[in-house]
Amino acid sequence: MSESADALQAGGGGLVRLFHVSKSYLAGTHALRDVSLELGKGEFVFLTGPSGAGKTTLMRLMFGAEQPSEGQILVLGRNVSRLGPAGLPALRRRIGVVFQDFKLLTRRTVEDNVGVALDVVGIAPRDRKARVFAMLKRVGLHHRRHHLPLTLSGGEQQRLAIARALINEPELLLADEPTGNLDPELTLEIMDLIADAAARGTAVFVATHDHALVSRYAQRLVRLENGQLAHDGRPPR
Amino acid sequence: MSAFAQSRSALANTLAGLRGSPVTSAIAALTIGICLLLVGAFAVLVANMEAILARFGEELHVVAYLAPGLAQEPRDALMQRALALPGVETVEYVSAEEAALRFRAAQPERAVLLDGPEESPLPASLELRLAASERSAEPVRAVSEALAALPGVAEIGSGNEWIAGYAQAVALIRGIGLAIGVVLGIATLLIVANTIRLSILARRDEIDILRLVGASRSYVAAPFLLEGLLEGVLGGGIGLALLWAGWSGLAPMLRGGLLLLIGDTTPEFLSLGGAAWLVASGGVLGLGGSAAALLQSRERSR
Repeated sequence: MSESADALQAGGGGLVRLFHVSKSYLAGTHALRDVSLELGKGEFVFLTGPSGAGKTTLMRLMFGAEQPSEGQILVLGRNVSRLGPAGLPALRRRIGVVFQDFKLLTRRTVEDNVGVALDVVGIAPRDRKARVFAMLKRVGLHHRRHHLPLTLSGGEQQRLAIARALINEPELLLADEPTGNLDPELTLEIMDLIADAAARGTAVFVATHDHALVSRYAQRLVRLENGQLAHDGRPPR
Repeated sequence: MSAFAQSRSALANTLAGLRGSPVTSAIAALTIGICLLLVGAFAVLVANMEAILARFGEELHVVAYLAPGLAQEPRDALMQRALALPGVETVEYVSAEEAALRFRAAQPERAVLLDGPEESPLPASLELRLAASERSAEPVRAVSEALAALPGVAEIGSGNEWIAGYAQAVALIRGIGLAIGVVLGIATLLIVANTIRLSILARRDEIDILRLVGASRSYVAAPFLLEGLLEGVLGGGIGLALLWAGWSGLAPMLRGGLLLLIGDTTPEFLSLGGAAWLVASGGVLGLGGSAAALLQSRERSR
């Protein structure tokens, strides 16, 4: 076992642990370089940095869309690099992911967009309906459950994406620029939903450019610059 | 995950996929249908040729013309030995007089040829009928050779050459049919695979979202496999319907031609089992095409 894997095994009970993680897409260039990081249960952490700093790469590594070039990533007790074809879907069912561009099923109704996350874990149709309704009510979209996503406003679409991400009560919520396409008023609405998830015990990791949000919500700030960790701690005042 | 929930979800995704790309799905089904129309047409042709061959087999005899003046005792011994030959079912003695009677009955306009000082110029013979399983060129040849070596046999006569030629023709048509079927099958498989691949590409975002929420490979693949299966079965049905339509138009003409060539015979369409086989083949082609497309498009990335 490698030194980094030994360290992971020996480590504490962090929900997410990155140990000397690097990622390069082309030889000689690094999207991420030697990043070590730990997220605890129920933490609400903001990830900032200029464009190209590696925020999205870091997010993608955390939900297994990419493999690190070096280092180890432990998410919810599983080493992401070593997950097989069955292990990765099982891990993703415990993680909620929200993107700037919503990533909704445009040909399926609002209800089905949320329900699909329950379908993949095999929830019975009657339970599915009740749980979807409750979640849509929580994000204020229950009255639009039979509509198609493209008939919703931008803010509503992002609320729908958050509903899908939270329907399985994930232990970890990853949000990559979730308010990047929204105006300031809708931004606060969305961030309140995310903060609410954190208050209910979900660890939340939000990538953003928006310093106002960091000032308003952040308890902990992680800053990347040129793929390297530049700051990890309380946000500067 | 419960099988019911997965099936329900797969069916919903399949129907959504078909609704989302009706033209592509229709092209895939039609392609399979046309391919199976050609395969089915060859199957009908070969089956009918085999039926005709079997009918000729019923009338097939190997005839051993006896040496003139062969006495009854050696003739009886010859009959016993002929009956003991492998594949021989019955042996019948035809006297010279009976041969003359048959000739007069069959060809009365030539009966004058038999008029003369002798009672019958035709030789006596043994007619050997072969077991159904032996009515093909090779067994006929083997029996003829064995028979020719027996004492008291002057000459062997059979329709062996004709039967052999016909059997070769059937084997050739069957081979061509098989080759065309294989080529058409592979071509259809590739076309269906590419059609489904287009469907997969068109729904890449949807697949990414499913993977994002933790869908397993089988969950993602099931709607595409089901889509291919449905298109294939539909294609098989289209092929069968086209074949039936063509058959309905051509069968009377075919029967007329056969009547002229070989006498009264009724050409047959595919049996129920054959029709089911054709439709099932469509399903297999559609399923195989989908599986190939999924394998092609399976990303290395997760």
